[in-house]
Amino acid sequence: MATRTIVPPAHVRRVDVSVTRLNEAFGRVPVAAVIRRAEDLPRALASQVPAVFFLRAPAFHLGPLVWAVQARGKLAFVHVDLIAGLGKDRAGVTFLAREIGVNGIITSHSGLVAAARAERVIAVQRLLLYDDLGLPSALSALDHARPDIVEILPGMIFPLVVDQIRARLSLPMIVGGFVREPAQRDAALERGALAISTSSAELWR
Amino acid sequence: MRTPGVIGAMLPAVRDGASLNQALDLGYRQVLIERGSLLAMVGPLAGAARQGIAIFVNLDAVEGLAPDSAALAFLATDLGFSGVLSVKPHLLKDASRFRLRTVQRIHALDSTGLETGLNSIVSPPPYAIAVAPAVAVPQVMPAIRAATSTPIWGTGFVTTAEQANEVLAAGADVVSSGRLELWREFSRIPVRD
Repeated sequence: MATRTIVPPAHVRRVDVSVTRLNEAFGRVPVAAVIRRAEDLPRALASQVPAVFFLRAPAFHLGPLVWAVQARGKLAFVHVDLIAGLGKDRAGVTFLAREIGVNGIITSHSGLVAAARAERVIAVQRLLLYDDLGLPSALSALDHARPDIVEILPGMIFPLVVDQIRARLSLPMIVGGFVREPAQRDAALERGALAISTSSAELWR
Repeated sequence: MRTPGVIGAMLPAVRDGASLNQALDLGYRQVLIERGSLLAMVGPLAGAARQGIAIFVNLDAVEGLAPDSAALAFLATDLGFSGVLSVKPHLLKDASRFRLRTVQRIHALDSTGLETGLNSIVSPPPYAIAVAPAVAVPQVMPAIRAATSTPIWGTGFVTTAEQANEVLAAGADVVSSGRLELWREFSRIPVRD
């Protein structure tokens, strides 16, 4: 992955980890740009989205990408479970928080949510909806882990389960996964999602 | 003697002895154990397999089994199961050594995950590919068909007959549900070979 060296933020202390400010920003533009390849980043930087989710970039070349996002006044989140080269453990989260200076992490694992809290970065926990029989136990795990935000995937399941989720959790919800059309975005927002996450650049505008 | 495969579009997802009996009472000759403790229902399952019922088990979600050769040998030899489901290619390869049919699970949660799943499809091709959640099948079928012509099962989040029919209409060969009402509805539809 070709990366230009960009001067990092003056100090990791300056990284914005305010969930309140993120919620307000999503109130204005309710979209997080999902970046699967570094080539997709310039369009996200030029867009109005307040947050960028990195899914697959190699961990040890991530710095310049994250800092480019932050230089635009956006928040950068890194998916710990999917990022290449990084341990899916506390040391991995600590590296992202202290060495890279990410605003937050994304993970499916409750243990890494606790690690994010210890490192004082925003924790987005994924609720993966592939099995209706597993939903009750997944909801109790989330209730116990208390992430800052829950990201619910895939998008087409969200309307089917939103009432069940809300009865159990009061967390802000981001809806992602196969959200490609404006109608899908609008449906999620109408049902109470804080924002959508999508790799479809047409929805970043 | 070869164990039976899946015929017919509805595959009841059972989780205990009671739901197994409900499916069998409705005339189903095939079940999927999607959740719960397999070991708690070993007796009824072995009995059903002896009567020629095709039994498939989701090794990623069921409790009480290790994902290893000893568990596969137990399912194939002692219980007479027809096949296993897993996201893990190495486990499926191992399962085929025990003459179990292999169903590769793919999570259709986002485009990144789907891509990873499609890139991991085992060779030779599995008996079927199980897409979870089934409700995503209509949206992801073009990407799947571009990668493989293996039969598709839809599993997870099918709670109404309308959803089940949409999954089948999108090109899935089999749809699985844990809902008794759906088993009733589909038990009236003649089995297609």
